[in-house]
Amino acid sequence: MSVSTASYLARRAAQKERVRILYRRALKDTLNWAVHRHLFYSDADALREKFEANKHVEDIELIDRMIAAGEAEHNKWRHPDPYIVPWAPGGSKFCRNPTPPLGIEIIHNYGMEERE
Amino acid sequence: MASALRSAILRHIRVPVTNSLSLSGSAVRSMSSHGDDHLDKQAVIDRVIHVVKSFPKVDPSKVTPDVHFQKDLGLDSLDTVEIVMALEEEFKLEIPDKEADKIDSCHLAIEYIHNHPIAN
Repeated sequence: MSVSTASYLARRAAQKERVRILYRRALKDTLNWAVHRHLFYSDADALREKFEANKHVEDIELIDRMIAAGEAEHNKWRHPDPYIVPWAPGGSKFCRNPTPPLGIEIIHNYGMEERE
Repeated sequence: MASALRSAILRHIRVPVTNSLSLSGSAVRSMSSHGDDHLDKQAVIDRVIHVVKSFPKVDPSKVTPDVHFQKDLGLDSLDTVEIVMALEEEFKLEIPDKEADKIDSCHLAIEYIHNHPIAN
């Protein structure tokens, strides 16, 4: 398998994207677990060290296995009640006040039409 | 029968007639609980640059509204992820994973936040 085939590069790019998304989710979970900022910073640094330690691995199969192991570990540590922004799906304000359908208007002189 | 009752009541009670302004033009947006204030673009740019400058691995003097995180500032892809998370916290947004992966420069971040209807 030559180093510069397009499929190799595509596979490496897909792996890098998986790593980035895994890092993002792991960081959000760290924030969910460690609410106080000083604890979060130390935990985030430890997480970053774990990712940096495997930065220079070159073997594709090994990278795949490591990503799968990382995702399994992330699933084990997922928070049961994560913080979700209120208006996002799963948040507390989601679909709370949807915009009313078009054509609805407030009638201000209800009951007084005959007087006019 | 209801109208007779209504007019009987109204004969005895003085109900002030309010100014019957037709609100149908702005009623749709004014009834929703959020998302009706679009942020000013310059305010978005200022806040984004402030967030990027306070990132510890970034040199504050190099930050401009067009800077690319990896090419100009010399950051890692994991650092880009951290910056996007900091922007999410600043603007109280929830960016889906696929979209967040594509935000690579200040310019893209400003565009995305400015076009987001609920950015606060």
